[in-house]
Amino acid sequence: MEKNTYYITAASTISHQDTFGKTGFSDSMSPVVPPALITPDYKAFIDAGLLRRMSKILRMAVACAKDCLAQTGLDQPDAIITGTGLGCLQDTDKFLNTSLTVEGLLPPTAFIQSTHNTMAGQISLSLGNHGYNMTHTQNTLSFEHAMVDALLLLDEGEEHILVGAADEHIEILSEITSHLGYAPGFPLTSGASFFTISKEKGEGTVARIADCEPVAFAKDPVKKLTRFLNNNSLEINDLSKIIYAVPGNANEGEYESIWRKAGLDPEKCINYLSLCGVYPTASAFALNYAVDLISQDRSLKNILIFNALRKENLGLTLVQSVEA
Amino acid sequence: MDTLKEDLKKQIIEQLNLEDITPADISDDNLLFNEEGLNLDSIDALELIVLLEKYHGIQVTNPDEGKVAFRSINSMAEYIRKRKS
Repeated sequence: MEKNTYYITAASTISHQDTFGKTGFSDSMSPVVPPALITPDYKAFIDAGLLRRMSKILRMAVACAKDCLAQTGLDQPDAIITGTGLGCLQDTDKFLNTSLTVEGLLPPTAFIQSTHNTMAGQISLSLGNHGYNMTHTQNTLSFEHAMVDALLLLDEGEEHILVGAADEHIEILSEITSHLGYAPGFPLTSGASFFTISKEKGEGTVARIADCEPVAFAKDPVKKLTRFLNNNSLEINDLSKIIYAVPGNANEGEYESIWRKAGLDPEKCINYLSLCGVYPTASAFALNYAVDLISQDRSLKNILIFNALRKENLGLTLVQSVEA
Repeated sequence: MDTLKEDLKKQIIEQLNLEDITPADISDDNLLFNEEGLNLDSIDALELIVLLEKYHGIQVTNPDEGKVAFRSINSMAEYIRKRKS
């Protein structure tokens, strides 16, 4: 069966790098330095009455979502799909702390906004959107699952899907990871990336999603990768770049040696965790990074996002350039 | 200056996270739930009920009382004084 084409008609990211509203940001990336997120003036995107209640993750998500729609000139997407690994941590933290320290009535706002699907809900409320609204939470594969959902909707006839992912860092995460002995080798950060994925190419569209596959309990990631590429009629050395996530304490060397053996120049292999830091949906940042790389260098035909942030999970996304 | 009213304004700003608003921006007879006032909504009403218990030890159990009490800073101060007397 012939595969459908899924065009990336808009992309927007808020991260610890200067990414928001900056085409060509990939040219000036440096190793990520937390804690400061580089954020836009949220008041330009969110009504002040709503903004005052929004936590970091909600502000990032709504601003990126609205930026995507502005880029495509769409009033409404056919669906809003989000992915998040850990959800609205700031509100969860606030609500739980209040419930421990305050006797009697608890303030409702943090509780109401502590659920994972608040992001998609707030985007929908901000836009007045009544379409399909879904949140996927599958740890480090949350974004890939959201993307697969979006692609399936396009297959079913929808035209424009707003899909994205976000996660936020709160202080207690650093404490917990320290207690667990989890040392990913890169700082824990926050980030949000949203995209409009469309059936038709838009003006200025440079990239498309050729394929996306989340693999849970991946026993042999290299075998999975080879099969994924073969399904797309590619070999490893056909790739223009591999943007990968392997935590610093894991077997990064193993993957690098595989790619080197396949003839890939080490400069073509970039660990995106060094650019955006570690959060469960960092692969969404990687997608925006890939789109931006293609926008700056149209000779990049095939970029693979290899998400092995968590050993048991493997996310594979193939991004291809679109002929002008 | 009425200290209770000034405290109420500060408490409302903090509890409702009213960015860019100072106590001086809220007049005593501003309608809190009116567009020309603070334009608060139903979630804010719940937050005000929590505020009264948290800062003043007052539980609002009768919704009709809340409707009158939360009209303005003046009515809130009057309600607190009445309940504490």
